[in-house]
Amino acid sequence: MTTIVMITGATKGLGRALAWYYGRKGYALAVTARTENDLVQLASALQAENIPVVAVAGDMAKAEDAERFAALTLARYNKVDVLINNASIFGPGPSLLLDYPDAAFQEVLLTNTLIPYFLTKQILPTMLARDSGIVITLTSEAGKTGFAEWGAYGISKFAVEGMVQTWADEVADSNVRFHLVDPGEMDTDMHAQALPDCDYPLDPPQKRLAVFDYLIEEGAANGSREEAIIHQQKEGER
Amino acid sequence: MLIPAEKRLDADTPPEKRGQMRDGVRLLTYWSDSGRIVHGGFPQLANQLEAGDVLVFNNSRTIPAELKTVDGIRVRLSREVEDGIWDGLILGESSKKLEFMHGLKALVTGPGTEPPLVRLVFSCSSGRLLRELYRQGDVIRYEHVARSWPLQDYQTVYASIPGSVEMPSAGRAFTWRMLANLQKHGIRLAFVTLHAGLSYYGDDKWPNPALHPEAFSIEDEQAAIINDAKANGGRVIAVGTTVVRALETASDGNTIIPQAGVTSLYLSRTSKLTAVDGLLTGFHEQEASHIDLLQTFAGEEGVKAIYKEAVAKCYLWHEFGDMNLIMKQARS
Repeated sequence: MTTIVMITGATKGLGRALAWYYGRKGYALAVTARTENDLVQLASALQAENIPVVAVAGDMAKAEDAERFAALTLARYNKVDVLINNASIFGPGPSLLLDYPDAAFQEVLLTNTLIPYFLTKQILPTMLARDSGIVITLTSEAGKTGFAEWGAYGISKFAVEGMVQTWADEVADSNVRFHLVDPGEMDTDMHAQALPDCDYPLDPPQKRLAVFDYLIEEGAANGSREEAIIHQQKEGER
Repeated sequence: MLIPAEKRLDADTPPEKRGQMRDGVRLLTYWSDSGRIVHGGFPQLANQLEAGDVLVFNNSRTIPAELKTVDGIRVRLSREVEDGIWDGLILGESSKKLEFMHGLKALVTGPGTEPPLVRLVFSCSSGRLLRELYRQGDVIRYEHVARSWPLQDYQTVYASIPGSVEMPSAGRAFTWRMLANLQKHGIRLAFVTLHAGLSYYGDDKWPNPALHPEAFSIEDEQAAIINDAKANGGRVIAVGTTVVRALETASDGNTIIPQAGVTSLYLSRTSKLTAVDGLLTGFHEQEASHIDLLQTFAGEEGVKAIYKEAVAKCYLWHEFGDMNLIMKQARS
């Protein structure tokens, strides 16, 4: 049976690295992003390598878009084994909260919490019915510690961590597992936005994938919070 | 034995929009062996069942299966015949060529499996058509509803594989809390998929089950759950007539054989059920084939008694309404 991986925010940064990595590994993909052109390009490039892919553009912070993505994915594959809630937005910044635009505060908080909320709500029933599945949600050091000038992003990640803990607790009697992954600092568009004056070298997201293999192939306790950098170092020692 | 419409109380609004939870409906339980009727709340369903019983759900997801042509003609899809070819119902007059938005087209190539259905050949594959349905389609609604409730109101909480043109409504009142609670009581849950076609053709015309094929599938693990429960003396309770149809089709007389296929099974009073011991269903239009199926569980007098009691006690009809559990017999 092919493993089906669903990835949000698949056209950039870590999401893109995950899509290529698992596609080339023989997994079948379901990918989404907001920008249709970027997504179509990614899907075509994946298909050119004979990687099975369902690509659905949309705003997963809208319930009806999440439903459409889930439905089209399940129509093709009948199941999802791994959901990777990767998509998030940084919002404006760096900015002090006192200077933070109110509308952006609302947008970042809602977007970053609703995407994993709606998609998980769509996919979890199928996982529970099969009593198997893994939901991995991306977080950040800023989701555990409040840092000056990280604005609504860090605050939204606090919320996301709470949501994942809640969900992990609610499925504790099943074989479905929830995990948080902090990928650490990486060379991505989002990092450039958060730390525009960064003067030290950064790893590309491709270096941070060992943690996903660990969670998918070896397995960890439901509700665990993993730091990608630690798994990267472990892999380096092998 | 028809209950006149004026004697019926139609539920025109989902319970959660009437200030209730999704499971805030009533449950009328009927025991066929004794004729006993028990009234209660749906969340207490577990009280009518026993550890070891298995509830079997249809996890088909409702799709927005009504399309409008650029000229405003409404087309209701009923069933995928093969890739890109569907049986459907055209409301009103139409030409042979149908043109929808975004370049989607269909040709009417002849009659469907039974009148008034027609055969529609779309200009694209079913995969592409499904995308178009989500883009320009709408959920099929009937006259008894108060408002144009969104698609999400027409899903069960465990809906998964898309394909039903109408909600498999017997499971609508379940919440995940209830499902967890049933499992805590030792009741097992299994999921099969049957994509429900149209239940009504308009003008007092209903499908004849023998001419109403529906695609279904039962996976190995799910069949094993059902067979295991049955082998250990548990009863199999179908959540909805769609599940009865799928299980009885897949039954070899003793066990459920996992399979994917199409069923045209017509269950009537004289049919012998080999797989299912109980049925959970709503209160629906009492057209002949639906009553026939209920009679396989409760007999003619039993169905009369159920409906008489439901009317007397003001039970609510239709997909947002109250529930009815019909059990063939108490466990020996």
